[in-house]
Amino acid sequence: MNWPVITDNWLFFLIGAWPQGPLGGLVQTSLLALGGGALATVLGLAGGLALWAGWGGALLRWGCEFLRAIPVLLLMFWCYFLLPIVFGLDVPGTWTVIVALGLVSGAYLAYAVQAGLHAVPRGQWEAAQASGMRRGQILRWIVLPQALRIIRPSWLNQWVTLVKDTSLAYIVGVADFTFVANQVNSREQVYALEIFLFIGLVYWALCASLQWCGERYGRIAARD
Amino acid sequence: MPAWLGQGLLGSEQLGWLLQGLVLTITLSAAVILTGLILGVLLGIARQQGHWPWLALPHNALRNTPLLVQVLFWYFAVGGMLPEAAKIWLNTPHVLWQWQDLSLGWPSFEFLAAWWSLSLYAMAYMAEDVRSGLNAVPRGQWEAAQAHGLRPWQVLRWIILPQAWQIARIPLLGQGLNTIKNTSLTMAIGVMELSYRSRQVDAQTLLTFQAFAVATLLYVLLNLLTQRWAQPRLEAKQ
Repeated sequence: MNWPVITDNWLFFLIGAWPQGPLGGLVQTSLLALGGGALATVLGLAGGLALWAGWGGALLRWGCEFLRAIPVLLLMFWCYFLLPIVFGLDVPGTWTVIVALGLVSGAYLAYAVQAGLHAVPRGQWEAAQASGMRRGQILRWIVLPQALRIIRPSWLNQWVTLVKDTSLAYIVGVADFTFVANQVNSREQVYALEIFLFIGLVYWALCASLQWCGERYGRIAARD
Repeated sequence: MPAWLGQGLLGSEQLGWLLQGLVLTITLSAAVILTGLILGVLLGIARQQGHWPWLALPHNALRNTPLLVQVLFWYFAVGGMLPEAAKIWLNTPHVLWQWQDLSLGWPSFEFLAAWWSLSLYAMAYMAEDVRSGLNAVPRGQWEAAQAHGLRPWQVLRWIILPQAWQIARIPLLGQGLNTIKNTSLTMAIGVMELSYRSRQVDAQTLLTFQAFAVATLLYVLLNLLTQRWAQPRLEAKQ
């Protein structure tokens, strides 16, 4: 084992070739995860509400099914090809990956939100209506908070999946953590074991701490 | 016709590449689902029975690291540590079976690395489904069966597993469908499956839309047909 290969390259693992080159490494991976997570949350909530309320009809349902049926990698290829055509300008690779991750995670979350909304007992609606609340208010203050609590475990799983899927940015040429590790590996040639063990451990720490924080928050929230 | 659609359609050569990619995707998926399921059932039982508590650690690592990193790890790191003679043997073609013009070769090193890493990943997720299936079988089933004089492994084999299977089979089908999609990552180590072929066709013809559209259609069909074929068979009463 030769660990200096990690310590000598620590800055490269962290930010890639930046500021001389594109931002990369672990910071890029974090940006992809946060951006994708934010987009997925918005799309998941909106999509879930729409599915539950029956808006969008078959089109929305088919769209979600489609996003879940194809590999994330292929969706990234599509975004890479279609986003510049749709927006008529050069879309940076980072945004391509964020949009692809947001779309696919949003589709999975939409189904979870829909299931959560269905799982809230009807009596909650009736009781809130009897208290004189309007439909929108009931949804916002009574039903949605309960639905989100019900689906918290699957929400958490989806975020872990999203963090793991940021590594696919490597295949479309965005300099994320995996990409940078692969560059170090090709440059050094003989330290593959150290390099891939190291990045595996970092991803593991990221995902496990996300899971741990989520579960802990869930326990604290359950106590209140 | 808008400019981004490009001119013309894919030729028969390109369609042939895509179909070869599809065949490899199906072969790899089937191999991974088979080994992943066998290993997953074993790991799920071991985890549920709690015989080897240390298994929790590798099991957790397999589920909380990206599949792509695992594929690269097995291919570059572990593959690189194999003895020189083994590497040479794995990288030269070997014919396993030949009949006139048809021949079946020993799979490439890339294919083997992909099979191995995807199997472990599928195993980890399938084991979770098996474990929750086992956990959902009421404790009384164990006690009642043991009271009838069955040995522990007989109880597991004939009483508990069939009931756990009823609970776990649909989630397991979901893992199988995930496996089909996951095979696309192996293009990173040069396995010429469907995603790899679509990029190859794209690079050669510049007919990006056509190349991705055919690949997408094939993935959707494969996913849909697998589900349509497997679900009624799994849901049928045993």
